[in-house]
Amino acid sequence: MDDCIFCKIIRGELPARKIYEDETTVAFWDLRPASPVHVLIVPRKHVPTLNDIPRGDHLISHMCDVAKKLAQDLGVAQSGYRFFINVNRGGGQVIFHLHAHLVAGNDFGTLFIKAGIAIAVLWRKLVSLVCRDGASQKGS
Amino acid sequence: MSDSHPHCVFCDIVQGKQPAKYVYEDEFVVAFWDANPAAALHILIVPREHIPTLNDIPPDNNILRHLGQVASRIAADFGVAESGYRFVINVNRGGGQMVFHLHVHLVSRTWREPG
Repeated sequence: MDDCIFCKIIRGELPARKIYEDETTVAFWDLRPASPVHVLIVPRKHVPTLNDIPRGDHLISHMCDVAKKLAQDLGVAQSGYRFFINVNRGGGQVIFHLHAHLVAGNDFGTLFIKAGIAIAVLWRKLVSLVCRDGASQKGS
Repeated sequence: MSDSHPHCVFCDIVQGKQPAKYVYEDEFVVAFWDANPAAALHILIVPREHIPTLNDIPPDNNILRHLGQVASRIAADFGVAESGYRFVINVNRGGGQMVFHLHVHLVSRTWREPG
């Protein structure tokens, strides 16, 4: 596809920080990473979405194999990572050339949730302390 | 199933020892509603075979190809293939994996319950 940004990266017409390539796929760092590790695994062939992979094609298996290898190389295979594919607009797909995200480390969403839980726990402790003090003062 | 795991909740579901709201099953996988959904549509697609994580899939095993095809098919059945969905595999604790039996999350915020 002439105007596809990923096809241009694969053809070398646009720059990207590639970390892996073989005859079927190319992997490079996401330009706007959501986490310390955020790699995109992209098939060389222009397939728009996951829905468009021909039946019997091993593309997904291969993309997962690449993710496994990269997770190992980047030292996150055991600590943990996410492998996900967004499909169409409602699934968050922005570029219509099939790609898998390999994400590891604390992203802002996870940090936000952890901070929210910590604040809620502290708040509950504070409220229970204040209530207990109030009750003991009434009782005395 | 060839090798179930004694304390695995997904092996129990696959074997019918624990209830789940099935939406699909075939020779290799079962799919059912997530008990704690993160979105309007949240389906788990689980291989019948007990494979702990994505890292543990043996070479030349075709389960991932099949999981991809089943996800695409279920998305079409629920009418979200075109509107959009996510195909997610969490790997190990830091990746958010809670049950150590390989599974795919099929998640869509575009789905509306009929009626």
